[in-house]
Amino acid sequence: MRYISSKKNSTEAETPAQVVAEQLSPHLQENIDSLKILLQGCSDVVLKEFTFGQPATRGLMLFFDGLIDKNSIESNLLKPLLLELNMRPEGGNMPDPDILGFIQEKVLPLAELKTLETLQEVCHHISSGDTVVLIDGYSSGLLAGTRSWQGRTVQSPENELVVFGPKEGFTETLRFNTALLRRRLKSTSLKIESMVLGRISKTDVVICYIDTIAPPALVAEVKKRLEGIDIDAILDTGYLAEIIADNKWTIFTQTEHTEKPDRVCGALLEGRICIMADGTPMALVVPVTFPEYMISPEDYYIHFIPASLFRMLRFAAFLLALLLPSLYVAVITYHHEMIPTPLLLTIAATRQGVPFPAFVEALLLDATFELLREAGLRLPRAVGPAVSIVGALIIGDAAVRAGLVSTPMVVIIAFCGIASFVNPSYNASIIIRIARFGFLFAAGILGFLGIIISLILMALRMAGLSSFGMPYLAPIAPFNLHHMGDIIIRRPWFNNKNRPYMDDMKNIIRQKTETEKEGKQ
Amino acid sequence: MKLTHYQLFCLLMILVAPVAFLETPHTLVHVLYANSWLGILTAIIPGLLLIGMYQYIITKSSRPFPLMLDEHLGKAMGRIIGMIYIPVFIIVCSYTLRLFIEFMKMIVLPATPISIFIGVLLLVSFAAIKTGLVNLARVVEIGVPIGYMFSVAILLVALFCNYHPERLLPLGYINYWSLGLATAINISFLSKLMPVLTLAYFLDKKQQAGSIQRWVLALFIPLITLASITIIITRGIIPALTMTFPTFATIRLARIGAFIQNMDIVLVAIWILGIFGAVTIPWFMACYVTQQIFALKDYRFIAAPSALIIGYLSIIICRNNLEVVIWSRTLIPWVYGLFFIAIPFIIFVITLFKPYPLDAGSDTANPDTEAPPV
Repeated sequence: MRYISSKKNSTEAETPAQVVAEQLSPHLQENIDSLKILLQGCSDVVLKEFTFGQPATRGLMLFFDGLIDKNSIESNLLKPLLLELNMRPEGGNMPDPDILGFIQEKVLPLAELKTLETLQEVCHHISSGDTVVLIDGYSSGLLAGTRSWQGRTVQSPENELVVFGPKEGFTETLRFNTALLRRRLKSTSLKIESMVLGRISKTDVVICYIDTIAPPALVAEVKKRLEGIDIDAILDTGYLAEIIADNKWTIFTQTEHTEKPDRVCGALLEGRICIMADGTPMALVVPVTFPEYMISPEDYYIHFIPASLFRMLRFAAFLLALLLPSLYVAVITYHHEMIPTPLLLTIAATRQGVPFPAFVEALLLDATFELLREAGLRLPRAVGPAVSIVGALIIGDAAVRAGLVSTPMVVIIAFCGIASFVNPSYNASIIIRIARFGFLFAAGILGFLGIIISLILMALRMAGLSSFGMPYLAPIAPFNLHHMGDIIIRRPWFNNKNRPYMDDMKNIIRQKTETEKEGKQ
Repeated sequence: MKLTHYQLFCLLMILVAPVAFLETPHTLVHVLYANSWLGILTAIIPGLLLIGMYQYIITKSSRPFPLMLDEHLGKAMGRIIGMIYIPVFIIVCSYTLRLFIEFMKMIVLPATPISIFIGVLLLVSFAAIKTGLVNLARVVEIGVPIGYMFSVAILLVALFCNYHPERLLPLGYINYWSLGLATAINISFLSKLMPVLTLAYFLDKKQQAGSIQRWVLALFIPLITLASITIIITRGIIPALTMTFPTFATIRLARIGAFIQNMDIVLVAIWILGIFGAVTIPWFMACYVTQQIFALKDYRFIAAPSALIIGYLSIIICRNNLEVVIWSRTLIPWVYGLFFIAIPFIIFVITLFKPYPLDAGSDTANPDTEAPPV
């Protein structure tokens, strides 16, 4: 019985999961067999066997086509091994026993070379664009950094356009993105720690922070939350944002998404932490509070007076985008005594013949506006804006002519749409778009009372949220007068002495005073 | 996480100001006519004494209300009186809710059934209690400055839109008994600060509750004085006497730029936030006192059953608006006087003969995760 069962086991084919966990074998053929199991069905893999040196030694080179720089492989791997090695004074003789070390140190002219021990490492690195060389007789492989693929170059981010300040945006290549940060913060205090997340995607994720500023507890918490992720793939930082959030069942996002390296650097200098992943230009910044969504990086590049006025305008626009349709519905439906008589008569005249109550009218128009906005995003770039503008004009005009909606309502919804575009953060505008419908319902049912009740409920929800322990409404609630000086208005640089306070922050001084400078001298 | 000084200030302000803003000027006009505003100014000294009394009790007690009752009155008596406070807070909460609803029915949405108002407001307050006192404090600290500044601004606009200062005459022609009565009415409203006997223990240093209460008084007095003066100057005594809610009728007179008018509705909207606070804090106190008296683990789960009691009580407490007004002038000042002034006064007298507790500064607690030291 024992014989039968052991025989049965020996004839069973090994599964890729079993193979991948194995160490590399000193016999090249065994490694080739294992790799063939692992790479079965991968038509883009290249396995090139070759023989080199004296005594003739078998080798295998493997990589994924499309992820590597072929020129680099030919000139830095194949040419030195197959051609230049034989032209050496030794005539191709290799010192026995350490051929691998000899090749690594004296033959291959590559900057990035290291040894690998397992098939899992081999697979991970070739998937990332590296080339692996296996040599018969050695249970280690040699990794050569030959990554190169077609990617977007550094461009201006489409979602965060600015008039003043840097125009560069992140790309889908992680290493370019870290370089963009390193170029701005030329200090070894800028730490970029990497990890691999995603069982299948094996996505490179980095955590960036300035270790002389960022609170150590915050850094540890971010690492802990990221290390706790066990998912098959991370295709965008959006996955991470949702998983690592303090409160998951809410529309209020607790991370800031940005494509701008200068914005990330600004956040790092305030002790925050940035998370970036390979394959996406979107970086996450944590912790973030809701009032900070109203801040544009551009505010810090222009004079503080216009910057402060623009900021106040943004706060006003936020409130208008959120509340204007519901306020209009409440006034028209329940509190028309507030409207001066001439205006009331004008509105009444335009509403004559409209079959819907103001609430339904607003709901229809707002939903149509959202449809047009969404359609404008999905349509090809050449026709998208045209379709959304023409659609808005035609539908709006036709709806008014048909007597389905009134002109003031079209004006209100259009104004509200414009106000929602003022917000520099896409996350905040999503919140506004969703919450606006809730306020509309409340106003339709209970007028001003409904709006205020909804506002209190929203404030209660927001007050209960936190982003990595930082209260979501800070510094408004809990109130902090010092930090409010850089929220509603932009604090002038000459007066911006300290970083925004965070518990445990290592260095809060942003700008030294004259006395401190003299003390240093 | 503990309450900040500013949060405690806002909680206390919202506890005393919104209802007083609606009721006090009206009640005082009935007592002192053109000199009703003087009745508010005379409340400054007694108000300071009341605050001093609360603060003295806080400093002399190592445990918050209602556990301080055990400390000073003995365990049996302390528990019995503590239990009596549970229905008291529920009645205060229900009465405040009903007062607001009557107001809403008269001024804002006359056709809406009161059960809708009760349901909606209870829902919001329930959410606040379930999410914890710190959350409530955060919401309140956003609402209080907005509400206060807007109220003052709109009162000033109304005042200067219909400026008849001669209506304040005859100045100082006062019956002293009426002046005393007006002062007592004001003090009964100020005595709603009594939950500070609990809330002070959620500060880092409970000793600082005294200055916070004085700030509340310093902002409460001008607001209510301004409201009273505005009513008399803009409306005159006789119309003010006939109105149920003269404060809002006065604000209706405000006009800006010959375009913005009838702004009372905007003030009502902001005032709802105040009422939310004025309802939620006594409700929180009812839940908290229940938790402490019966040594329960948390106060939040009591919010659901007590919501039913408060909702039902606010419906049956009065049959109509007239009864609400009668309650506000007869029973409610006595309830405030007995439970928020007289009983604390007895404790104050007892504490006069007691030494200061050891390590009085450090015995504070987190309002949402732990009970104050027992």
